[in-house]
Amino acid sequence: MAKVRIATDWLAGCAGCHMSLLDIDERIVVLSELVEFTSSPITDLKHPPKEGVTVGILEGAICNTHNIEVAKQMRERCDILIAVGDCATFGGVPATRNLVGTDAALKRAYLETESTVNGIIPDSPELGKPLDMVVGVDKVVKVDLFIPGCPPRADAFFYALTELLAGRTPVVLPPELFTYD
Amino acid sequence: MAVANITINGRKISTQAGITILQAAREAGIDIPTLCDHPALSPVGACRMCIVEVTGQRTLQTACTFPVSEGMQIETDSPQTVKARKLVLDMLFSERNHFCPYCEMSGDCELQSLGYRYGVDHWVFPTYTKSFDLDASHKYYLMENNRCILCGRCYRACDELAANHTLGLRQRGNESMIHADANIPRGESTCISCGTCVQVCPTGALSDKRSAFMGRESQTQKIKSTCSQCSIGCGIEIVMRGGNILRLNGDWEAPVNKGLLCVHGRYEPLYDVRQRISKPLIRTEGMLAETTWEQAIQTLTEKISAANKDETGLLVSSHATNEALYLINTLFREKLQVNNISLLNKAAPEIPGKRKGSLADINNSDVIILIGADPVSDQPVASFIVKRAYDRGARLVVIDEKENGLSPFAFMNLGYDGIDTAIDLASRAEHPVVLYGSEITRNAVEALQRMDNKAVFIALEPGVNTSAAAALKFDNGFSPSSVKCLYVLAGEQDYGSADLLKDIARDAFVVVQAGYMSHLIERADLVLPSAIWSERSGSLTNMEGLVQEVNKAVEPIGEAKTDCEALSLLAEKLGKKIDVSHDEISSYITRLVNERRS
Repeated sequence: MAKVRIATDWLAGCAGCHMSLLDIDERIVVLSELVEFTSSPITDLKHPPKEGVTVGILEGAICNTHNIEVAKQMRERCDILIAVGDCATFGGVPATRNLVGTDAALKRAYLETESTVNGIIPDSPELGKPLDMVVGVDKVVKVDLFIPGCPPRADAFFYALTELLAGRTPVVLPPELFTYD
Repeated sequence: MAVANITINGRKISTQAGITILQAAREAGIDIPTLCDHPALSPVGACRMCIVEVTGQRTLQTACTFPVSEGMQIETDSPQTVKARKLVLDMLFSERNHFCPYCEMSGDCELQSLGYRYGVDHWVFPTYTKSFDLDASHKYYLMENNRCILCGRCYRACDELAANHTLGLRQRGNESMIHADANIPRGESTCISCGTCVQVCPTGALSDKRSAFMGRESQTQKIKSTCSQCSIGCGIEIVMRGGNILRLNGDWEAPVNKGLLCVHGRYEPLYDVRQRISKPLIRTEGMLAETTWEQAIQTLTEKISAANKDETGLLVSSHATNEALYLINTLFREKLQVNNISLLNKAAPEIPGKRKGSLADINNSDVIILIGADPVSDQPVASFIVKRAYDRGARLVVIDEKENGLSPFAFMNLGYDGIDTAIDLASRAEHPVVLYGSEITRNAVEALQRMDNKAVFIALEPGVNTSAAAALKFDNGFSPSSVKCLYVLAGEQDYGSADLLKDIARDAFVVVQAGYMSHLIERADLVLPSAIWSERSGSLTNMEGLVQEVNKAVEPIGEAKTDCEALSLLAEKLGKKIDVSHDEISSYITRLVNERRS
């Protein structure tokens, strides 16, 4: 049987969810016999392959136009999209920006911090443009499964992936793996 | 009591007509989720979590407010109710900041718990962009308005339990805010720091400053005890983690306070900055120097043995437990024949032949006479209960020559010359209650004798364990002039600048057993470090005559010992060992207190 292909990527996140995925420890050996991680921010290949994958995993919130591109590309190239972590599911820490507004947040971060001298707000064509509102992934693409948590527990990742491998799509995680923090 | 036969989720239940669906369901062990509901507060149906299907009703009904009636059929978990509850949760999460990871209440939050229960794994509605103020102006707690779900538990607790009416709801719709007084910071408001609002808040909106972010409920241990700050004897729950006291909660199951506490009970004991005494100290060449317990007890034994019974005196704080008072009585009065023993505070006088009641009697009273006491400062929980009675229309008559904390609520403010007017008013009432304290005059006590048998008398004893001390007759005056050896059991009260020892002869030997450094120590020849409220076990007798357990939460500081341990060591050294059990003491004290009350 061909291995199930999985790609991961991150948006406005802290990499913590990816660390938590790695925290499944030696179970990753079992998993790697059944799945192939085609690409991720922590491997050499960064982008999900054009021919597509079965499962796409996204960490982080949507906070700029680049995040939207990444999310849309992942959505196009995967069958099942999983949003992992509080940022991808709810907006999380980046969404606290919404309470002050993007302009004020950029000013505070790049111009007004106590240690800033002659600061400038980055503005390069290579960079995504910050959005007015930070939102969860489901506000820009369809999401099939949400795994909240900051970060989601390693067991939650393992549970979701093994359920998918068994041909079941968990709608909501069981209570012991369902957490917001 | 009319019976209603109802059906919940297909189960036939026979219950009392007129109680709410929520109460009926809980009695039958059927769980209905709630948020704004709290057992100690009146239902308001604010949060809509408890909505259920009631056959014949056009819309879903809130179980917390809807009364049951004969033949009613209720569905608590039908697809329609579950869908509606999820919508309610989605809307609650969409307003204000409910990101859990950096919230103090995460793990204990009732909103979060319902989010888990109903599988809220993403947000349906756009999140809120408006930021509300954080009110950190109060000394003891924080109000983070961004975490507030407007359930109204806090202002109901303020209105219905503390009867202080500081908190309220202003504006409407998504502008609604819980505010204090006329929307001023809580630290500047009329808040009396009873902390009940903090204890009932279901989310991270109100949190205790001292113990915030110091652990979830599941990581804490709770020790039930009795508050040692006044004579009411409120039940407390000492919340501990890793051997440290995080905070104090009111014990909802406690008979006297039923969950309520005041600033003296909930906050002040944990904010005490006075210097503790941790080792025995002995005065040599004019200076106090550290010594051992053995040496201290040896010295004390010699001094007591050298003085005759008329030259020995005892000053006893009402902070002492029943056990310590019993040991003093047995060792000094019975075995050493010392009779010059006095309480450090006055006790309320005996009013013989009258019906003695408990604070609960205030709840049914229609006229309350307050005389010779100021519970607002001395027994605040009693003042809450009086203010609740005022709120439901009971008439309060305050008899006091000074300004009294309850004067603003009084129907009449009288001096002692107005006592006849008060008695006259009470004689026409159905359930008159007399709250009296130690300031009451002899004439007033006599005048009150005229009151008929309807009247219930409640002594607002000053101090803490005063009713036990008074029952042991420790309040019969003290003669300082003959004293050559004085034993002061000072407890942990703050005696301020009052010079308790000014009449004691300069050459008298003074032993002070105390929890904290104070000016008493300056005069002491021997200082014994005493354990404080959280470091001792035993029992206290409250002003109603109820003997209640005090339980130790932490070990005494340094070499401090409880009053009982110190007294036992002394008794043993004097060759007068006292063998008595805790239960024997409790029943002995209870008997004496009841004799004094009857």
